Amino acid sequence: MAAMIKVENLHKYFGKLEVLKGIDEEIDKGEKIVIIGPSGSGKSTFLRCLNLLEVPTKGDVFVEGQRITDPKININAVRQKMGMVFQQFNLFPHLSVMDNITLAPIKIKKIAKPEAQEKAMELLRKVGLTDKAKAYPAQLSGGQKQRIAIARALAMEPDIMLFDEPTSALDPEMVGEVLSVMKDLAQSGMTMIVVTHEMSFAREVGSRLLFMDEGVIAEQGDPKEIFSNPKNERTKTFLKRVLNN
Amino acid sequence: MEWLNAVRDWIVNFCNTFAHDVYRNFIAEGRYWMLIDGLKITIIISICAILMGIVFGSIVTLLRRSRFRIPRAIGYVYVDIIRGTPMVTQLLITYFVIFGSVHIDPVLVAIVAFGINSGAYVSEIIRAGILSIDKGQTEAGRSLGLSKSMTMTHIVLPQAVKNILPTLCNEFVVLIKETAVVGYLAIPDLTKAGDTIRSRTFDFDMPLVAVAIIYYIIIKFLTLAISALERRLRKSDLR
Repeated sequence: MAAMIKVENLHKYFGKLEVLKGIDEEIDKGEKIVIIGPSGSGKSTFLRCLNLLEVPTKGDVFVEGQRITDPKININAVRQKMGMVFQQFNLFPHLSVMDNITLAPIKIKKIAKPEAQEKAMELLRKVGLTDKAKAYPAQLSGGQKQRIAIARALAMEPDIMLFDEPTSALDPEMVGEVLSVMKDLAQSGMTMIVVTHEMSFAREVGSRLLFMDEGVIAEQGDPKEIFSNPKNERTKTFLKRVLNN
Repeated sequence: MEWLNAVRDWIVNFCNTFAHDVYRNFIAEGRYWMLIDGLKITIIISICAILMGIVFGSIVTLLRRSRFRIPRAIGYVYVDIIRGTPMVTQLLITYFVIFGSVHIDPVLVAIVAFGINSGAYVSEIIRAGILSIDKGQTEAGRSLGLSKSMTMTHIVLPQAVKNILPTLCNEFVVLIKETAVVGYLAIPDLTKAGDTIRSRTFDFDMPLVAVAIIYYIIIKFLTLAISALERRLRKSDLR
């Protein structure tokens, strides 16, 4: 079976700064990839290259066999299959929770409004926020916002979910509720790629861990294995620093 | 009680003179009609110009946000030239150079000149409004698979309007005051009407102050409306 996502020789420059220095990676259906590494190592940029929020300077990205770095490809169609959750939630403040979730299905998939709303309620049930359907983002806590953001991404019924440090902007007491939604999602079989600083989540939920440093994947493998027995020197230093905190 | 009489006389005298002046400047020969007609022309030019400015401004914003370099450059040069030259000069050029060879109503020329001028400022206002919306909003929209234009219409613009609308109203206020220069084309607008009365009655203070008061009342009214609008928009932020 072809890989769900295939990355070949991916390079990304911001001006003269080389952020990604050649990444080759294959991700299969159902994998829960967790990406850790020091800040500035290129984790987020790598993730954002997967749905072309950042356009790679060099190299190719294939999603379900399609070369999405081909300029002629309809990137909007590709993105509909890849949900994304951001560190800053990015809910649409002018829309109610319900409209946040149903906007894309109604506008893109042309799903009838009642049907889209029914689906949205189902998703709200999953993230435990049915009572917030009529609320506006400004009335929600950070944790609630992020759970809505997850529901919004899921409303497009994506095959892959990308998480860009989903709990980094949250107050500590709200991290748990978001992680628990993500765990449920992982158990449902969703292919997930998660950039995170939550080491216990990485260990528990990740099926494979990528350690990134200075624009390359320095080490990868089974999360439990890496946490207990890191091979790369840089991984060792990094883990020592984060796990001691 | 000598001084009391003196004061009374002075007041009576003043009132008489004032009433006389008012009569001479505004009532005699139906001069108040000049002010009313002038006000009409000022308002017509302002409203038509702002409508044109909104259309032009939107087009220029689209040009400046284009993927291609040439439309972007056209938009940039347009805004740059308009902002870098005085309104009166633009008005005169429109009248004598652009429409110099054709016979055309000066009011129409003024509308076109002010519309073109306002378009540049309106495009800057729209652009700033769009830029004020966090990039994350666009990214969230695009990541859901919305196209660039759908993201603009459903996500960015509805939010940007809150920033655009009050500033746009301010531009309208500025425009109304700027139209006072159409007298250069001998258009009998409000300012010109006051000036004409002055030249007939040789009274300086009364007609000119009256004109100023009329402008002030219009602008005050609009400014209050803008504040009310801003308050309402802010309220919807809090919900």
